[in-house]
Formats: sequence, C-alpha cells, structure tokens
Amino acid sequence: MGTQMRGTAAPGRTPTSLSRRSRTKGGIGESTLRPDGTLKVIGEFAYSSDLWHEDMLWGFTLRSPHPHARITSIDISKALAQAGVHAVLTHDDLPTAHTQYGLEYTDTPVLADGVVRHHGEPVALVAADHPETARRAAAKIKVDYEPLPVVHDEASALADDAPILHPNRDDHHAGHVPHPNIVHRQPIIRGNAAEAAKRADVIVTGEYEVGMQDQAFLGPESGLAVPAEDGGIDLYIATQWLHSDLRQIAPVLGLPEEKVRMTLSGVGGAFGGREDLSMQIHACLLALRTGKPVKIVYNRFESFFGHVHRHPAKLWYEHGATKDGKITHMKCRIVLDGGAYASSSPAVVGNASSLSVGPYVVDDVEIEALALYTNNPPCGAMRGFGAVQACFAYESQMDKLAEKLGMDPVEFRQKNAMSQGAIMPTGQIVDSPAPVAELLRLIKAMPLPPEKQWETARGAADVRALPGGLSNTTHGEGVVRGVGYAVGIKNVGFSEGFDDYSTARVQLQVIGGEPVATVHTAMAEVGQGGITVNAQIARTELGVTQVVIHPADTQVGSAGSTSASRQTYMTGGAVKNACEAIREKVLETGRRKFGTYHPAWATAELLLEDGKVVTDSDEPLADLVDVLGDEVIDIELQWRHRPTEAFDPVTGQGFGHVQYSFAAHRAVVEVDTELGLVKVIELACAQDVGKALNPLSVKGQIHGATVQGLGLAVMEEIIVAKDAKVCNPSFTDYLIPTILDTPAIPVEVLELADEHAPYGLRGIGEAPTLSSTPAVVAAIRAATGLPLVRVPVRPEHITGT
Amino acid sequence: MTLPTSLDEAVAALAAMPAAVPVAGGTDLMSAVNSGLLRPAALVGLGRISEIRGWQYADGNALLGACLTHARMGRSDFAALIPALAMAARAAGPPQIRNAGTLGGNIANAAPTGDALPVLAALEATVVLAGPDGTREIPVGHLTAGHDPLRPGELLAYVRAPLLHAPQTFLKATTRTGPGRATASVALVLDPARRGVRCAIGAVAPMPLRPLEAERWVSGLIDWDGSRALEPEACTAFGDYAAMSCIPDPAEGELPLALAHLRRTVAALARRALERALS
Ligand SMILES: Cc1cc2nc3c(=O)[nH]c(=O)nc-3n(C[C@H](O)[C@H](O)[C@H](O)COP(=O)(O)OP(=O)(O)OC[C@H]3O[C@@H](n4cnc5c(N)ncnc54)[C@H](O)[C@@H]3O)c2cc1C
Repeated sequence: MGTQMRGTAAPGRTPTSLSRRSRTKGGIGESTLRPDGTLKVIGEFAYSSDLWHEDMLWGFTLRSPHPHARITSIDISKALAQAGVHAVLTHDDLPTAHTQYGLEYTDTPVLADGVVRHHGEPVALVAADHPETARRAAAKIKVDYEPLPVVHDEASALADDAPILHPNRDDHHAGHVPHPNIVHRQPIIRGNAAEAAKRADVIVTGEYEVGMQDQAFLGPESGLAVPAEDGGIDLYIATQWLHSDLRQIAPVLGLPEEKVRMTLSGVGGAFGGREDLSMQIHACLLALRTGKPVKIVYNRFESFFGHVHRHPAKLWYEHGATKDGKITHMKCRIVLDGGAYASSSPAVVGNASSLSVGPYVVDDVEIEALALYTNNPPCGAMRGFGAVQACFAYESQMDKLAEKLGMDPVEFRQKNAMSQGAIMPTGQIVDSPAPVAELLRLIKAMPLPPEKQWETARGAADVRALPGGLSNTTHGEGVVRGVGYAVGIKNVGFSEGFDDYSTARVQLQVIGGEPVATVHTAMAEVGQGGITVNAQIARTELGVTQVVIHPADTQVGSAGSTSASRQTYMTGGAVKNACEAIREKVLETGRRKFGTYHPAWATAELLLEDGKVVTDSDEPLADLVDVLGDEVIDIELQWRHRPTEAFDPVTGQGFGHVQYSFAAHRAVVEVDTELGLVKVIELACAQDVGKALNPLSVKGQIHGATVQGLGLAVMEEIIVAKDAKVCNPSFTDYLIPTILDTPAIPVEVLELADEHAPYGLRGIGEAPTLSSTPAVVAAIRAATGLPLVRVPVRPEHITGT
Repeated sequence: MTLPTSLDEAVAALAAMPAAVPVAGGTDLMSAVNSGLLRPAALVGLGRISEIRGWQYADGNALLGACLTHARMGRSDFAALIPALAMAARAAGPPQIRNAGTLGGNIANAAPTGDALPVLAALEATVVLAGPDGTREIPVGHLTAGHDPLRPGELLAYVRAPLLHAPQTFLKATTRTGPGRATASVALVLDPARRGVRCAIGAVAPMPLRPLEAERWVSGLIDWDGSRALEPEACTAFGDYAAMSCIPDPAEGELPLALAHLRRTVAALARRALERALS
C-alpha cells in the first residue's frame, strides 16, 4: 500500500465529515439489527409493566366520571379503613405548594384541586398490598361532585357566558390570546392574499375535520418508584424524555433534582403519548408517603384516559389558482381542540400554522391557527404534531383545485411544489434539498398493483385481499378501485427558539485486550431504534466494534425528547460530537506516544478504523489498544442544532424551524361501495431521508408511520360525546389497523444530504404519517366520487346514509 | 379451579359449588375478569372434557360438542358439514381467540355480536343441557334470550344442528379488514328438503332476528327441483325485505342516519348471501 502524503494537510486535522465509507463493521449505513427486536417478537422483552420489587405496593388512581364539576367533598375514611391499604392521597395531601405540572404551561393539577376539567381526571390515589385491594378501596372513596356547564367546542368555548377554564393564567401566551379559553393563537401573514386572489381564475374553498386519534401504544403507562435511604426516590419509568419528567416531578415532591433518580425501563411505544407525565408523580408520592416501593400500571381502559391524544381539528381553507395551474394565494383558519389542559398545544399551534401551506410555493397567505381550552380530553403530542391535520386539509384542496382546473393532480402539485431556496410562509428560506416534485414523480412511476388482485389462480376470491377480509362480505361484489396521491412537509426538532440540545457521554478504554466504547445518553428508546443507531455512530467514529450502550438515566445530561423526528439528529449528533472529541484525545495520546516513529502522525488526516489509527490513505499507524494502554478517555458533551427563533406573534415571521422533512404517498384502495368498507391494498411511499443511517430502521419507520396515517384515514377515532365523555376506551371499540389492514408498502428512499445535519441526515419518523392519510382519502374519493371532508372516513360516509 | 374430565364430573362439581363458574376458552370470561366486571369465587374448567370437544352424527343431525373451538370449526372437514358455522368461526376474532374460544362459550355468553348465534338461528339448532337431574333439549334462542336460562349446576353440553346438504353462507360487516366485532351479520341456509330459505340477521338487535316473511316469499320464488337460480332483482328485493323487517321505519319521523346505514348494510349482506347460496 503506497503512502500518499498531502503537504497541505494541517497537522493532525481530524476529518469532521467522513467522505468515504468506514470499514468498521456495524457502522452507519448498515442495517444492523436492533437488540430489542427478537425479544419483543417472542414476548420476552421486559416492559416497565413487568417491573417488580420485594415488598412493593400497588398504586391505583381514582378518576373523575364528570368532564367538568366542582368537588364539594371527599371522604376517604372507608378506603383508609380497608385492610391492606397503606395510603390514600388527595390534593390536600400534596407535600408542597407546587401542585401543578405541565410541558409548556404549568396548568395541570397533580390531583384535582376542587375542580375537575375532563372525564377521567385524577382525583385521589390509593396504595395497597394488592392491585385488587387498591381498586376496591378506591371505589370506597366518596367524592361529591357538583356538575358545571361543559365547554366542548369553539362556540361553547368562546361564547360570552362561557366558563373560563383557567381563570388565573400566567403563561407567556396569555397576553396575546383574544379569549382566555384560547391556549395560543398564531397568525401568519405574508404578501397580500386579498390582492393576489384577484389574479385567480378559480377559487376553491373547503371545510375539513380531523377526529381525535390516539397513539394507541401497546404498553400501558407504568412504572415503579422506590424510596431511597437519603430521602430521595428512584423511579423506573417508561417515558419519552427523562429530564423533562424530572423538571416537573421534583418540585411537586419538594426534592432537589439530584434526589429524584430516574432510569428508563422498557417502553412499549410512545408516539407522543408519553411526552406528558402520567403516573410518575403519583407513584413517587405514594412511595414517599408509605416508605415502600410503589408500582402503578394502567390497564387498557385507564390508558385511554392516562395520556393526551392527537388534537381534533376543524380547518377552513381557500385557495386560488390561475388557468395554467399556478396557486395564487391561500387563506386558512385552523381550530384545534386542546382539551382541558395545555400540554403541548402551543407548539402544535406553531406547527399547524407554519406548515399550513404544505410543501408548495405560495407567496400570498393569510393564516390563523389556534388551540382551545375545552372540557374534552387533553390533547398534545402525537406523531406529526399539528402538521397531520393541516396536511389532510391542504392535500384535499390540491385535489379539488386540480379537478376544477381539469389538471392531473400530480402534475398540478409538481407545478407548485417547493424546492431548495423556496420561502416558507414564515419568511424562512428552505436551505437544504426539498425534492417535492421528484418524490411525486417517484411514487407515480411505481407500477400499480394488478386489477382484481384478489383473484387467485383457481378463480376463487382471496377474501383477505378484499374489503371486509375474513368476514367474507364481498367476493368482488360492489368493489371499485381508486388511486390517490398526497405529499407533506414536517419540521424536525424543537422549533420557535427552543434551546434544543442533547448530551452524550462516551468512554473509550481497553477491556479484555480490546478497545470498547461505552455510550451513555438519556435518550428514551421507545422503539425508534435509537440505541442501534447510537452504537453504529460510535463504531463509525471510533473504529471499534465493541460498543456498550449504557442504560438511559438522569445520571447523564438531558437528551431532549424522543419526538419531533429528532433523536437520530440530536442524540445521534451528540454521540458523534462526543466521539469526535474522544478521537482528538486518542490522537493526542498517540502523537505523544508514537509521533516520533512516523511522520504521518503530524501531517496526515488520521482516522480510527478497525481498532487502529490509520491515515486517510489507509496506512495503519498504531493499534488503539497500544495507544490507550490503561487510559480511560471519558467525555460528556452537550450538542445543539442551529438556533431557531420565535414566530412574530402578529405576522408569524421568523426562522422557526431547524429542518424540514418530505414524504409522498400513492394509495390504491378497493372500496366496497355498498357496505362502505375500504381495503387499502397498496400505499407506496417516497421520502427524502438525507442519509439512511440504518436502512432497515428507515423502512420500518416509514412503514409504521404510513400505517398510523392509514388508521386515521379509515378507522381510528376516540369518540367524545357532546357531554365531553369518552365513549370508546377499548381496543374493541377504538380500532387500529391489524396486519390484515396493512397494505403492501413499497418504499423509495432519496438520500439528499442536508449540510446542516450530522451525516446530512433528515429526521424521518413523522413525515410519512402526514401524507398517508390524505392519499388514502383521495383514493376513496376517486373510487366513490364523494367529497369526504372528514377523517376517519366511516362506512356510513361512503354509503351516503 | 377444578378440571373435570367428564361431563358428569363437571356437573357434579358445579352442583357441589353453587358459586363456581364454568370456563371453556376463557376468552369472554377473562376479559370480564381483567376489566374488573367479574370476580368468580371458583372456576370449573371444561377444557379436559374430551367428549364435548368433537362432534358426532345422530339421525341426520350433527351433535356438536360445546367445547369445539372456532379454529376447529373453521377447518375444511367441518366446513363440508355446516358451511355457515365454519364461515362464522373463521370470522370470530383473531387466531389466538379462535384457538381458545368455543361454540358453547359463544352461546352462553349470548353477546349481540356472537357470530355463531345467527347461524344457529338460521339452522334452527337446539342445545342439549346436562344438569344434576339429567339432560334436556331446548332451542338455542330460548337460552340466549333468557326465556329458559341455565339452571343451577347445568352445563351446555351439545348443540344439535341439522345437516342440510345444501349451500349456506355467512357474511359479517365490520369496520376493518382485520378481526372486529360485527356491526351486522347475515347467516343464510338453504333447506331443499323443506323447500325453504332460512336467514338470520346478527348484531343489529340483542339477539339474531329472523325475517320470516322475506324467507317465505323468496322460498316460494325458487324452483327447488330446477336450477334454483333467481333474477338479480329478486335477490335485491329479498335483501331489502329482510332489512326492512329487522330495521323497520319508525312510527313517526325519519329513520336516524346510523340506522339507515345499518339497514342498507343488512340489505346488501342479505342480497349477497342469497346470491351466493343460489349461484
Ligand atoms: C379479542 C377478542 C375478539 C373476539 N372476537 C369475537 C368475534 O369476532 N366474534 C365472536 O362471536 N366473539 C368474539 N369474541 C368473544 C369470544 O371469543 C367468543 O364469544 C367465544 O366463543 C367465547 O368462548 P369461550 O370458550 O372463550 O368462553 P368463556 O370465556 O370460557 O365463557 C364465556 C361464558 O360462557 C360460560 N360457558 C362457557 N362454556 C360453557 C358451557 N359449556 N356451559 C355453560 N356455560 C358455559 C362461561 O361461564 C362464561 O360465562 C372475542 C373475544 C376477544 C377477547
């Protein structure tokens, strides 16, 4: 192997971007397998609900049967008197003056404080030696309620005599909202929509509605709180963001944050539903009160009340276009139902407004998005976060416009598609690839599934390929095919000036004669595959094959949330950054020890590969084992993405988002038009992922997001009655797609690097949730000719009865 | 929990412990337990009673053991015998449930969405009940409607269903392609010997409904000795007739939208059921 010397190379410069493929096995770009995969499939993965401690008690939560009521009295004596009961707590028993928590506003009572504001709100807690005992004791707590008038929609929330749900607001948006029952309102004005409308040859308006979707994660809320000898507490918990929980828990308990030690336990899915607290504070309170470990596990029924849901929305849109298919302007008003507490409604409003135009170039816009306080169940984070609702509406509008203009819906979209350099309604320039037209081209070019795909070679129908499946409703009778397209835009990372960072601690040392890297972060692995990717990054950067992933806990700095498609970007970025610092140290040590033996130590670009220090032309200089000797290199560093800024409260202008992510879908459906049943047979997706760090995981995320979007399109909805009560808290009545509802999902991936992001990667987990829903609905419209302005589409919407 | 191995032992165990509850597959019972609705003092497990896990022939009828699982009934040998019951069994929940859930449990549970129930109604099947005082036999509907409930110590032992040697169908509308509870279902059997079409509509009422007039009307149109074929319009009319009789117009005002959809669904299912049975 010849040694090529580059005279111009700065001595010892470390390459910050890897221009060539790393040789180290299991590095980035490989589909290494996830360690939790097989265990989950065979049922041996330990979830937080499997936690166990000698001598532990079981906690149970008594919840409000009323959506809005004053509590006039609570009598816990009968519950306390029951054998086996160790504690019963109500609001009056809270240990400090900090009795509320919240992600953005501190407005959620730990236990109801004289008023309940939604069906299922926690009122009292019981700890007992058996879950059944705790449940029975809770039933003996006597709570007297005086029902109050219910706020359940925009009209009742903003009426003159509307009850004000949070009369003493002190949050940072309180001064900007036109009514105290509005959590947050974000207008965006750019150009002059009224003036531009005059250029339009056609104008199309529409009112759309999105039902309340649930994250429907399979592992219910659960955790174990263990009181410690120092008066603190150890909490083992399934969550999306340990440090955000910690910030909310500690003040309520009256403990300094160091005394609340949290460890992530097995998470059974999250999708946004674990960003808010559920039983965390409750378990800690009971454990501190009783001096015993306390476990709380919700059952499926309680889980439906135990976490926030996706905001239901009403969306009004107006678009204009010229005869040749150019969009002239857009006006919209998006009303999101935030429910009883703020949760992440303000950020959802920011997303809904700033992404309301979709991935299109429209210079003249007038946008308003707002979230309401109502007595409906609280709504907050769910995959897609405000962008999902908007995408359903603007994509429905795109089809309507194309039809009115007599244009092909894909060509019409391509004509108006944004690309790099486009300007968002917020004035932000899209400064990395935005291959919207190309994504549409890719899905359109894919071959269509054959007609009558249910026919088998023997002529009989394979009912699994037909609407109704094994229920045998059709063998082809009444079945019509439809095809629909949609594309969407999602932001990545925390926006609007939030100081978003992650932390990684990496150690490198020789163990048993081999270099081993240990990666310690507080990143919540909720099924996204983050631990797999973090190990891949460490292998690539440090050239070691042995990587140990330390359990996530609060002994290391915050990783931020596993949400907003951000963890590979952020914690992946933090791991990369920490590894680079480690590599610097290794090379420093190497130069010190061996620099005199070879000139390349001083002059070449050096890399770590295959357990060795090598030059950029692959000449090995030393074994890592020899460089390290007994030294342990140990570095913990925070890492930030580029800063963003808040949107102007009046004009909505501002560099609000870190990165954008794009996906497009083509849906092919068969509709049983007589029964209103839909079978989605193919949902092709094309997405730009920047760089696929783990191609298999990328595909998995796209598949999952696509199916979750399908669920919203045709079945998933929490039904909340006019009296604000939840009607279907079970998996018998809240249906999610099964494998028989899951279509073939061919995936095309583009890898156009974003120069601002580590490895050029793009956050990918959410974008496909957006376009999946409108693509399916567009296909059903194509099959039936119906307008279908609401999701989920139900059979009765199709049969027209 | 006791695990008897014969019907007699099971009946004796139940008679000895009046508070005990029989459990077959446990798919209904355990969901009631898990959601806190039921706290049985004791259980008598029926899973080891091999005499009621299969079927036998008896005078042109089939005597079906109460502990036949949905999975077993869904297999092709059973489908050759009583096709509509096999189709219902294949549609009753996901595979895990069909492997455990039983015919007897489906009947005893008597849920409006019980998929075997409309089939048994269309077949005019009976149940054989075994109790401390011997056995008795009553129509399935008498048991499920609560007219003639299980007596203390009594067990559902067998279902007697006629072997009709003619096409049968079962169709079930749900709101997803994967397993789900019926919003409406239709079982339809042809009985050439009695020159009759029998049909039952499931899930739209607390128990299956028989559209007797529609059955009689359509039975009279069929050439039982010939091709049995009917004009499409006749099948459509049968569907509408059956649907109208299950979901009649209200005395006053309009049919609520949800019911109008349900009626259309029943009409389409009944029409398709008849078309398939006659094709
Ligand atoms: C996820 C899921 C999906 C389901 N989907 C469907 C569906 O699509 N269609 C459908 O019809 N059902 C469905 N079910 C309901 C259930 O599986 C069926 O009703 C099943 O047939 C019940 O049988 P089992 O043996 O499990 O009954 P068990 O749960 O064992 O018993 C049910 C009741 O019947 C009594 N019982 C049982 N056997 C006897 C006997 N021999 N004599 C006297 N009493 C008896 C028990 O005491 C109990 O009260 C579903 C259930 C679940 C959990």
